[in-house]
Amino acid sequence: MRNFSSHFRSFLKPLALATVIAISAINLTFAQEAPADSAATAAPAGAAGGGPSGDATAGEALFKSNCGACHAIDKRVLGPALAGINEKQSNEWLHKWIKNSSDLIASGDKDAVAIFEEYNKVAMPGFPQLSDTDVDDILTYIKDAGAKKAAPVAGVAEGAAPADTGVSSFMIIGLIAVVLIAFLVIVVLNRVIGTLERLLVKKEDEIDANDDEEGEGKDRLAVVKKLAKNKKFVFFVVLALLITLGSFGYMDLWNTGVQTGYQPVQPIKFSHQLHAGTNQIECQYCHSGAWKSKNATIPSLNVCMNCHKYVQATDKYNGEISPEIQKIYTALDYNPETQKYGTNTRPIEWVRIHNLPDLAYFNHSQHVKVAGIDCQKCHGPIQEMAEVYQYSPLTMKWCINCHKETEVNSKGNAYYDKVIAAHDQIKKGEKVTAAVLGGLECGKCHY
Amino acid sequence: MESTKKYWKGLEEVNNTPEFAEHSKNEFAEPIPVEELLEGSGLNSVAPRRDFLKAMGFGLGAVSLAACNVAPVQKSIPYLIKPEEVTPGIPNYYSSSYKGGSILVKTREGRPIKIEGNPSCLINQGGLNGQAQAAVLDLYDISKLKGPLKGGAEYSWDDVDTYVKRQLSKVQASGKVIALVSSTVNSPSTKAVIAEFSSQYPATKQVTVDAVSYSGIIKANEANFGKAVLPQYRFDKASVIVSFGADFLGTWISPTQFTKQYVSNRSMASLNQKKMSRHIQFETGLSMTGTNADSRIAIKPSEEGAAILSLYAELTGTAVNGASLSNNNPASAAIKLTAKELLAAKGSALVISGSNSIATQSVVNAINSFLGSYGTTIDLDNPSYQFAGKDEDLTMLLADMKAGRVGAVLFLDANPVYNHPSAKDFAEALKKVDLTVSFADRADETASLCNVIAPNHNFLEAWGDENAIEGYYTLVQPTINPIYNTRQAELSLLVWANYPNQDYYAFVRSNWEKSVLGLTGKKWDDVLQAGFVALPAKAAGTYSFNGAIDANEVLKQGKALAKDIELHIYESVAVGSGAQANNPLLQEMPDPVSKVTWDNYAAINPKFAESLGIRQFDIVTVKTDKYSVDLPVIHQPGQAQGTVSVAVGYGRTKAGKVGDGVGQNVYPFITYNQGTANFVSTVTVSNTGRRDELALTQTHQTIEGRNIIREATFAEYKKDPAHGSGNNDEKHPTYDLWGKYDQPGHNWVMAIDLNACTGCGACIVACNTENNVPVVGKDEVRRRREMHWIRIDRYYTFQEDGKNLTEEHEIVDMQGSMENVSVVHQPMMCQHCEHAPCETVCPVLATVHSNEGLNHMAYNRCVGTRYCANNCPYKVRRFNWFNYWNDSRFDNYLNNEFTQLVLNPDVTTRSRGVMEKCSMCIQRIQAGKLEAKMDKRVLADGDVKVACQQTCPANAIVFGDANDPNSEVSKALKNERTYYVLEELNVQPGVGYMTKITNTGSQEA
Repeated sequence: MRNFSSHFRSFLKPLALATVIAISAINLTFAQEAPADSAATAAPAGAAGGGPSGDATAGEALFKSNCGACHAIDKRVLGPALAGINEKQSNEWLHKWIKNSSDLIASGDKDAVAIFEEYNKVAMPGFPQLSDTDVDDILTYIKDAGAKKAAPVAGVAEGAAPADTGVSSFMIIGLIAVVLIAFLVIVVLNRVIGTLERLLVKKEDEIDANDDEEGEGKDRLAVVKKLAKNKKFVFFVVLALLITLGSFGYMDLWNTGVQTGYQPVQPIKFSHQLHAGTNQIECQYCHSGAWKSKNATIPSLNVCMNCHKYVQATDKYNGEISPEIQKIYTALDYNPETQKYGTNTRPIEWVRIHNLPDLAYFNHSQHVKVAGIDCQKCHGPIQEMAEVYQYSPLTMKWCINCHKETEVNSKGNAYYDKVIAAHDQIKKGEKVTAAVLGGLECGKCHY
Repeated sequence: MESTKKYWKGLEEVNNTPEFAEHSKNEFAEPIPVEELLEGSGLNSVAPRRDFLKAMGFGLGAVSLAACNVAPVQKSIPYLIKPEEVTPGIPNYYSSSYKGGSILVKTREGRPIKIEGNPSCLINQGGLNGQAQAAVLDLYDISKLKGPLKGGAEYSWDDVDTYVKRQLSKVQASGKVIALVSSTVNSPSTKAVIAEFSSQYPATKQVTVDAVSYSGIIKANEANFGKAVLPQYRFDKASVIVSFGADFLGTWISPTQFTKQYVSNRSMASLNQKKMSRHIQFETGLSMTGTNADSRIAIKPSEEGAAILSLYAELTGTAVNGASLSNNNPASAAIKLTAKELLAAKGSALVISGSNSIATQSVVNAINSFLGSYGTTIDLDNPSYQFAGKDEDLTMLLADMKAGRVGAVLFLDANPVYNHPSAKDFAEALKKVDLTVSFADRADETASLCNVIAPNHNFLEAWGDENAIEGYYTLVQPTINPIYNTRQAELSLLVWANYPNQDYYAFVRSNWEKSVLGLTGKKWDDVLQAGFVALPAKAAGTYSFNGAIDANEVLKQGKALAKDIELHIYESVAVGSGAQANNPLLQEMPDPVSKVTWDNYAAINPKFAESLGIRQFDIVTVKTDKYSVDLPVIHQPGQAQGTVSVAVGYGRTKAGKVGDGVGQNVYPFITYNQGTANFVSTVTVSNTGRRDELALTQTHQTIEGRNIIREATFAEYKKDPAHGSGNNDEKHPTYDLWGKYDQPGHNWVMAIDLNACTGCGACIVACNTENNVPVVGKDEVRRRREMHWIRIDRYYTFQEDGKNLTEEHEIVDMQGSMENVSVVHQPMMCQHCEHAPCETVCPVLATVHSNEGLNHMAYNRCVGTRYCANNCPYKVRRFNWFNYWNDSRFDNYLNNEFTQLVLNPDVTTRSRGVMEKCSMCIQRIQAGKLEAKMDKRVLADGDVKVACQQTCPANAIVFGDANDPNSEVSKALKNERTYYVLEELNVQPGVGYMTKITNTGSQEA
């Protein structure tokens, strides 16, 4: 019985350690998620704050439909930031400008010409369809929004920083607390066990029931021993084990080098779910190579900039440019304020997900343009992937299977006419798959 | 009728040496030590139990480690801002210019990987020789300088500019000469730059000198016709061609152009019209042109002048004193017959000489004038500007330098310390010059002695232009950013001349807009796209000889040579003048005749060598009183008795990693006559007793006396086009063990015209660059491990006393005279047999047949049993003994980050232990098919061109789809001359050959 106690103690130490680690790990994950959540809830709260006036509400709608493409309240997009515009210019001037800026420029107005020059001589399109009240509504909205933005944004920015550090220090304190509590629990438990043990030892002297217990234990072991002596049983157990392990091993070996599900962390948290799924952007808008080349090509950053010059997701980041979009700007050394490109560029190093070995030749255009296969056939539900992973195994078996099953897309393609006709003469009526036209031959992919 | 001629590939075969007999039975030169392993300590030794367990344990551990399923992290880095015209995965082609001929440069992702001829080029018409094909590798050469040097130390361009400008002004002020030494400059813009430079520094004197000079012809033309030019020769208009030592198909002036012209009268198209030119060659060493001649007569260099003079005498009927070939009866008789043939072909005859002697060339001019060649086969009004060097200019400069009259020397594309006969004097004299500048891209023999090296761009990095022939202007445009910190030589000159606009692109463009574009009315962009501008050719006027024949001078030059053994110095087809000596592709390209790689050698006739007691591969000392070199000997059939031939272009000491120490430099043997360099000398030859085995590709794969070369004479052909092809004979009955393959789509086949093929080897280099074929180096070639997918087999046969030798013993008996050999070149690559023996024996099905008639080779499936190579009747399979592209032992080729940029990304680099062979450029076939599919059109004949076919200057290779009855190849294969090599085996090869036709003329010369 003494033994039992010491065994228990020796168990206790690692157990205690494991508990501590487990608890702290749980805490850690919670701690990580927490700030993300709070940020998500904080953003809309900041944006929605403030009492809307009647005019400004109508103005907001007008602003979003007419001005929002090129203007923001507090920062420069295509056109200048509009906050404070009411103070800078007279109402009358603004009306003229909004309705027909080129007239104003042509009239030689000093301010108008200055703006025209500053923005690379691109005039703002006129909005003659807006009535004077519309313009007033918009201006009111700008005035209100400009005033509100200045206050809450600053508040949030100040509040956010200490909150952040608070979270992290809270985490550390929490961890220490958990460790302390766990340690206390262990100590107390140990005490309890010790007391119980002492009680047990006292009683041991009084009761002689040990023999019965030990007898039961012997019986249990006896069954095992009996079975162990049964050679047939042992043989079957070993055989069963071998077969199970062997078949698992065999299946596993087949997957050597197969990276289905491979999902490396990318330098930019680019979401196909958002771009291809929600926004329905055609795959080949970005992966234009798939249509004409062997490589589908990761788009060069100038393609990103086609949209992200304007799309900066500021509404989700308290008016700041999204940090992921900022990465594009950093890579290009692009200054969104001045809209100028610098020279300190740094290419983005994506991690390649689909690693076809060099010995296999694969051509996207053959499959995408000629065969007309959807990207999803090989790349899976890409429009649902927030982070891209390898969907298909990219094994030769997988290629071959598809070549065996897929009919050749020969309709309206004069290249195939003769081939198909000749083929039909030889084998009448069979389905013309890629395999039938030699799509399984080694040299079609390996050269 | 099958030919009864006996062919042999090398002397080993004729002599049937024991080594040859032994090797001929083996596919691989060195036996694999299987027996040793089994009998020796291999299996009999007792492996201790512990060792066994250790090995097992380690093995298990290694396997489980290797099986750890970790995905390799590969970075994919897209462009920041992608140039509009670049799509990764799709090649771009840019027109440019190489040595005056328009070319197309194939680039992938911004790096040039292949050079093709521009099909509309006036000079080369889409053909390119091996040197042009290999030039793309020069771009990535790591032996080049990474930036400018001053006094051997790295300097910035600004510092170099300041220093050079200061020095130049000093020299200008001191009244000394500023010499600009260059090889021929035919670029209008470079000329304009030099003019700018000269106006800033009036003391500038331009000295033009070519390593292999043609100034004899230019001087003779100046004396005889008043035109100091190199004429354009028109071999396509010549029905009788007589060449005295001019290797016009291999190296002489413009070989690719001449091959195109020459073959136009000898190829299938011409033969179908029953037309064929006649070509008679008088020469010393067996040149590539000599191997293609209908009649070839060996003469000594000392007899050349006399032979030309006696031809003149024979033609005109005037007696020329001393013009007799009394010591060479066959030549004497041949001259008489040649004269008759030339007279019969008056107006379409062409006589040329490779001599650089003014006196000799004058006689040739007189002959051509008499034959009415000017205006027909020789065009003096549209001259060639490919070579304009004047030998005496450099001699004068050397004297000036010695006298201290030269203050500065600038070397542009010139390396006289290597390739000038008085190189030593020149190096000494350089020390007396204050400022020496070289524009060489590497610290070569001359540049390393200069104060400043301002490395020039490679032509693929540079803007420029060329004017190789009258009225034909080509543009050079860059296809890549400069790889190293180099600067265009022209720009350096402009900077030093304080020219205001320091942008060479703008300079070239404005220069063109001022001159060439004005003449044609074309726009710059159009010209840049086309690559060239061709002004209408002037009418070729007739000229009559207006000079004197200096017979005494000609004979005197001959007599001076006849003292000892006569040395004939020539340019090798592969390495040329030696400027590209650091190019491993060229070093490993076998010489078209001797099949030697990685060396130059002393070629001696076997009979003469026997009399000197020199065996093949003995190292001999070739010596004059001034200079001597030790060279290995090769027994060269066809070589004139009493002569030895050695190639220039070797023996570089500062070319770089590859070219240094390969062969010996024989430029110093060159002698001078009347101010021009003559590529002959008189030497003594003595055996050193040492031996050096040359790396030959010659007798690697024997044919065991099988009937694989078929030929006929032109007379026989005219009677029966199928003569000699074996197509009239009863065919051997055949049995098929295999079922027939269905080929519903395409059936890719090839036809090779043996009568067009000149053996130049351009296809080998083109194939190498297209298919990433590795260079293996001299030692590996000696072990017969060269990797070329296409080789050109060269078969000798010889005729004596007008009858063909038929029996083997007769050949052995005829050992005596090894002069009258004739040669057939046969390109040999995988024949893509329908019943391929290699496929049957592959245990892992790594080589299998396709339904397009190709024999596929899956490298990743191959386990390297090499059964296929053993079972291949054509011996065209190549085994990778090493990872050539990534093994420090093969440091001369791809084993660095720069040269690897030349690899074709569409073709796998093969790893050690796998077999490879010609794939018929399957990547091009697939790309061509894909393009057709994307355009939804039928794949037209000619859409797919294989690399060897595309570059072939002789159009000897036709490739296409046999399922298309109207394709070029279908027509060619239906030709009566077409036969299949080893067709009796019924392997049903996909490559057909057309019989070689020899135009022996009305009477045998």
